[in-house]
Amino acid sequence: MIDAALAAGPVELLATRSYYVGTFLLLGIGAYVMIASPNLVKKVIGMNIFQTGIFLFFIAAAYVDGAQSPVLEQAGPYVSPLPHVLILTAIVVGVSLTAVALGLIVRIYNEYGTLEADVLQEVRTDD
Amino acid sequence: MTEVFSLRPLAAVLVSAIAIVPILLSARRPDLRESWTVLAALSMFGIIASMVPGVLSGTVYATRLGAFLPGVEFALRADPLGLLFGLLASLLWIVTSFYSMGYMRGLDEHAQTRYFAAFAASVSSAVGVAFASNLFVLFVFYELLTVATYPLVSHDETDEARAAGRKYLAYTFGGGVAVFAGAVLVYWLTGTVAFTPGGIASLANADPMMARVAFALLAGGFGVKAALMPLHSWLPDAMVAPTPVSGLLHAVAVVKSGVFGIARLVLDIYGPGLVGDLGMGTALAAVAAFTLVVASVIALRQDNLKRRLAFSTVSQLSYIVLGLAVGAAAVGSPGRASAFALVGGLLHIPAHAFMKLTLFFCAGALHVETHTDDISNMAGIGRRMPLTMGAFAVAAAGMAGIPIVAGFVSKYFLLIGAVSAGGTIYAVALLVSGVLNIAYFWPIVYTAFFEMPTETDHKPLVEGPSGGRFAGTDPGTVTDGGRGERHPDGGDSDTDHGFAGDHEGQGVQDTVEAAHQLDEEHGPDDRLDWEHRRWTGAESTWLMLGPICFAAAGSVVLGIVPDFAVFLEIVRLVVENVTGVVI
Amino acid sequence: MTDLPPFLVVLPLVASVVVLFAGLVRSKTGWPIAALAGLGQLGLAAVAVYRVFTAGPTSYVVGGYESFYGIELVIDGLSASAVLLVAAVSLGVLAYARTAGPRGNPFYATYLLLIGGLTGVAVTGDVFNMYVFIEISGLTAYALVASGDTGRSAVAALKYLIVGTVGASLYLLGVGYAYIGTGTLNMADLSAQLAQVGYGSTLVQTAFVFIAIGLFIKTAVFPLHTWQPEAYAGSPDSVSGLISALVSTTFAYALIRVSLSVFTPDFFATADLAQTLLLVGAVVSIVAGSLLAVSQTEIKRMLAYSSVSQFGLVLAGLAVLNQTAIVGTSVHLLSHAIMKGGLFLAAGLIATATGAREVHEYEGLSERMPYAAGAFAVLALSMVGVPPTVGFVGKWYIAFGAVQAQLWPLAAIILASTLLTLAYFARLVERMYFREPATMADRAESEATAAQPDAVVADGGRPSVGMYAAVFVAAVLAVTLGAAVVPFAEQLAPTLELLLS
Repeated sequence: MIDAALAAGPVELLATRSYYVGTFLLLGIGAYVMIASPNLVKKVIGMNIFQTGIFLFFIAAAYVDGAQSPVLEQAGPYVSPLPHVLILTAIVVGVSLTAVALGLIVRIYNEYGTLEADVLQEVRTDD
Repeated sequence: MTEVFSLRPLAAVLVSAIAIVPILLSARRPDLRESWTVLAALSMFGIIASMVPGVLSGTVYATRLGAFLPGVEFALRADPLGLLFGLLASLLWIVTSFYSMGYMRGLDEHAQTRYFAAFAASVSSAVGVAFASNLFVLFVFYELLTVATYPLVSHDETDEARAAGRKYLAYTFGGGVAVFAGAVLVYWLTGTVAFTPGGIASLANADPMMARVAFALLAGGFGVKAALMPLHSWLPDAMVAPTPVSGLLHAVAVVKSGVFGIARLVLDIYGPGLVGDLGMGTALAAVAAFTLVVASVIALRQDNLKRRLAFSTVSQLSYIVLGLAVGAAAVGSPGRASAFALVGGLLHIPAHAFMKLTLFFCAGALHVETHTDDISNMAGIGRRMPLTMGAFAVAAAGMAGIPIVAGFVSKYFLLIGAVSAGGTIYAVALLVSGVLNIAYFWPIVYTAFFEMPTETDHKPLVEGPSGGRFAGTDPGTVTDGGRGERHPDGGDSDTDHGFAGDHEGQGVQDTVEAAHQLDEEHGPDDRLDWEHRRWTGAESTWLMLGPICFAAAGSVVLGIVPDFAVFLEIVRLVVENVTGVVI
Repeated sequence: MTDLPPFLVVLPLVASVVVLFAGLVRSKTGWPIAALAGLGQLGLAAVAVYRVFTAGPTSYVVGGYESFYGIELVIDGLSASAVLLVAAVSLGVLAYARTAGPRGNPFYATYLLLIGGLTGVAVTGDVFNMYVFIEISGLTAYALVASGDTGRSAVAALKYLIVGTVGASLYLLGVGYAYIGTGTLNMADLSAQLAQVGYGSTLVQTAFVFIAIGLFIKTAVFPLHTWQPEAYAGSPDSVSGLISALVSTTFAYALIRVSLSVFTPDFFATADLAQTLLLVGAVVSIVAGSLLAVSQTEIKRMLAYSSVSQFGLVLAGLAVLNQTAIVGTSVHLLSHAIMKGGLFLAAGLIATATGAREVHEYEGLSERMPYAAGAFAVLALSMVGVPPTVGFVGKWYIAFGAVQAQLWPLAAIILASTLLTLAYFARLVERMYFREPATMADRAESEATAAQPDAVVADGGRPSVGMYAAVFVAAVLAVTLGAAVVPFAEQLAPTLELLLS
C-alpha cells in the first residue's frame, strides 16, 4: 500500500497522502517546541501538539472515500470505527497527562519562582 | 576409580565457612574467637585427612547437590589432585592460625575479627577450589576466593593498602572474566565441563582454533592468580597485607588456586596429549620459563624482604606451570619424560608451600620483633633471632634446590622430565633460576649471620641505580639514555622497594626503626649491635616460633623422605590416572 | 477458573479506589488496606504462576467477546513471572515505606494504581490495551516521583513526564503503523497478519522501529535515558526503590513481549535492521551506562546509571534471540529488579540513619551501620556477578546464548560488563570498609546537607524493622535465587519454545 504510493513519486505521494504529511508536520513541530522552548508551559504545549499529530494519524487511517460516519441509522459503507474509539481513549490519557504536567509546573513555579528551564537550572545549581 | 557418595567434601568446605558466624559473634572475646578458628582448622584437616587412605586406594568421595546451570552439576569431589591441594591448604591453615594469633596480637592490629573471618572464608573457598568437580564450580570458588581475600589485602586501610586492594580486584576479576569466557567456550564446544582424568574426549574433535582460544583464555585467567608474567604485578603489591596473609594466601592458597586451575586445565579438561597437540604446551612452557628467569632477576634488586619473597614466589610458581607444560608438550616423546615433568610440577606445589611459608613466617617474625622489613637493615640480625634466621636459611636452601630440602626432590623430577623430553632450554632455565635463587637468598643469610650493623659490605645490585652504572660516576651522565639521576643528592639508598617512603616499616622509616633496636651494650665490644638472644626460643613467642619450626621441618621431611610424606604418593596417583605411567 | 487474569488487574485498581475513599473517612487507613491488597495480589500471582507452570498458558477475553475482537488477557510463563515479581517487590517496598514514607492515602492509592498498571502491561494480549496500561503506569510513576514534596522531585517528575509521554506516543505511532497494515490489534492475530504483509515491508519495519524506540525511551536505554537518573535520584527513597525495580523492568518486558509475540523471531531473521537496532542499543547502554555510573558522586544517581547499563544486558539477551539468551534475559530482568530495588532501599536506609547520600560520605560506613553496609555489599557483589549469586547465573545464560549464536563481540562486551560494574561498586565497598569514617568537619558538613530541604528524607530518624527487613530479604534473595534458576528455566522452556518457534 505504502510501497505502491512511494513508487508513484513524491508529488503523487503529497497529493494523495496529505493527511499523513500533516501528521508528520505536527509531530515535527511538537518535538521542536518540546526541545527548543525554554518555557515549561510551552514544552507541555509542544507535547500536546506531538500527541495530536498521532491522533490525527489514526483518524486519517480510518477514513474511507465516500463513507459515512459509523452511526447505524445511516447507510453504509462506514469509516472504520475502531480508531475513533482508540483515539478517544488516547485523548483521555493525553488530557490527564496535561493536567498532571500543569500541576507539577505550578509546584515548580511556587518553589523556584520561574518557568524558564535555563533559569531553573541556574537556581537549582545555586542551591 | 570408584565414586562413593559422601558428605565429607562438602563438610570440609563448609566447616570454616560456618565458623565465620561464631568468629564474628565473639568479636569482643579474642580468646574465644581464636578457639573457633583453631577448632575449624583442626576439624577441616581432620575431615580431609580422613579421606586420604580411601583416595589412595582408588576411591573418590563426592557430594552432588543438583544442577547449578543446565547440564552442569554443583558437585564437590575429592579426587587425588583435589586432595593434594585441599590437604595442603588445610594442614597449613592450622599452623598459620597459631602464627596469626602471635602476629596480630604482637602488633596489636586493628579489625582482627574481620581478619580472622575473612581468613576462614578464604580457606573455605580454597578448599572449594580443590574439591570442585567441574570448571564452573571451580570458577564459583575461584571468584569467592577473590572476594574473601580482598579484605585481607586492604587490611591496613592505608592509601597504599587500598591501592593494592584495587589492583588486586582489577587483576583477579579480570582473570575471572577470562576463566568464565574460556569455560563458556569449552561448554559450548563439548557440552560438558566436568573434570575427567586425561581430558574431555570430545574436545579433541572440536575446532582446533576455538580450542586454542579457550585454552588461552583459561590459562590466562588462571595465570593471573598464578602470577605468570606479565600478569604478576598484583602479587608484589599485595605484600602490603599482614604477613600470615602473604604466607598462607599469597604463597599457598590463592596463588596455588591459579596454578591448580592450570593443572586441572592441562590434566582434566584438555588432557596433556591434546594440550601438546594444540601446541599450547610449548607456548605455556615458554611463558613459564620466561617468568621464572625474569622474576628471579627482579628479585635480586628488591630490598624489602617481603617483596623479594613475592618475586621469588612468582618465579617458583612458574616451576609448577613449567612442569605441567613440559609434561604436556612431551607426551609423544620416548620414555617417561612427560610423567616425570608432571610429577615434578605437581610435587612442587606442596614443596614450595612448606618452604615459602617458612620464609614468610620468618619475615613476619622479624617484623613483629624488630620492626625491620628491609634487607639492608638486617645486618647481624641472626644474633637477635637465631632460630628464625636458621629456619630461614634452611628454607632458602630448599628454594635453590639444594638436596635434603623439599625443593630438591621436585626440581629433580622436573629436570629429568625436561632433559629426557629434549627440552634442554627449559633445563637451562631451571638451572639458571636455581643459581639466581642462591644469588638472592644467600645475601640475606649472609647479612644476618656474618655481618654487623656497623660493618656491612657494599651491595651494588640493591644500592646502585639500575642500568649498570658504578657508584661514584658523575651523577649527571646517563649511560643508557634513559631516565636521569633520581636522587640528585646522591648516595641515598635506593627506594625501589615499591612502598611509600614513610610507610610503616619500610624505606627510611625502616632504617630509623631498626636503629632504635641497636645498642652498644649488646655486642661483645662497644659497637652498635642487636641484642643477643639464645637459640632456645627467647627471641619471640612460641605462637610464632612453633609454626616456623613446623613448616621448616615439613620442608626437610619432604626433602629427605618424600616417600613417607603422603604428598608424593598422591602426586604419583594423579599422574598415573592421567597418563597411565607408573613412576 | 479462567477468570484469574482480570482479577490480577482489577484487585489493585479497586483497592486503589477503596484507599482513596477510605482516606476521606479516616486518615492513616492507607497502609493497612494497601498491605492487604498487596498480600492478596501476591496470592493471586502465586496461583497464576503455579497454574501456568502446571497446566500451561491461559487466556481470557474481557467482556465476553470472541477472541481477536475483545481485549484478550494472556498469561504464559513469562507474564506470570513478571506479575509475581511486581506483586512481590511492591509488597516488599510497602513494608519499607511504612515508616520511610511518603505517607497519606493518596500516596497509597497511586501506589496501587501503579501496580495495577504494571500488572496490566504484563498480562495484556492486545497492543493498544498495552498502550493504555503503559500510560497508566507512566502517569502514576510521574505522580509518585513528584510525591517527594520538594522542588527537585517536581522538576524530575516533569522531565520524566515529557520524555515518557514522547516514548509512549512513539509506541502508539508504531502500533498505528501495524494497525494500518493489518487492521487488528490483538497480538496473536497481529503476528499472523504481519507475516502475511511480509516482514520485508517498509510498513512493518517502521512499525517495529517506532515501537522499539518508544520502549527504549521508557526503559531508559542509552542515549534515551535522560529522564531516568534524575527521576530515580529526585524521588523519595521508597519510590525510587519501587520504580527502579519495576517500571523499567515492565517496559523491558513489554519490548520482549512485542518482539517475540508480535514480530516473532522470523521477523528478526528477515529484517537485519531490527536486530542491529537492539544490538547497538545493548552495547552502547552497557558501556556508556557503566562509564557514567563511575563518574557520579551521588549514590542514587550512580545506581540509576547502573540500571542503564544493566538494561543493556537485558537487551543484549533479547538481541541474541535464542532460547538460552532469552532465559538469561528473563532471569536477569527479574533478578536485576530485586537487586536494584534492594540497593535503592539500602541507600535510602543508610541515608535515613546517617544522612549519607554522596559517595564520599560512605567512608567508614561499615563501622557505623555494619548490617546495612553488609547488605549493600552483598547486593553490589551480586550485581557485579560474583558466583554463585543470581546476578552471575543470569549473566551466564546471556553470555552462553551469545556464544551459541557466535556473536563474539557481543559476548566479549557482556563478559567485560562484569569489570565495568566492578569499577563503580568496588569504590563504594572500599569506602565502606577500608576508610576511616569521615572526619568531624566532613560529618558536620554532611549533616548540614541533610538538613537542607533538598534531601528527601532528612529526619535523621531511626530505620524501622520493616526497612531493614526489605533490604535483607533482597540481599538473601540475591544470593539464594541463583539455585532456583535451573528449575525456573525448565518451567519457562515450554513458553519460550512457543514464542521462539
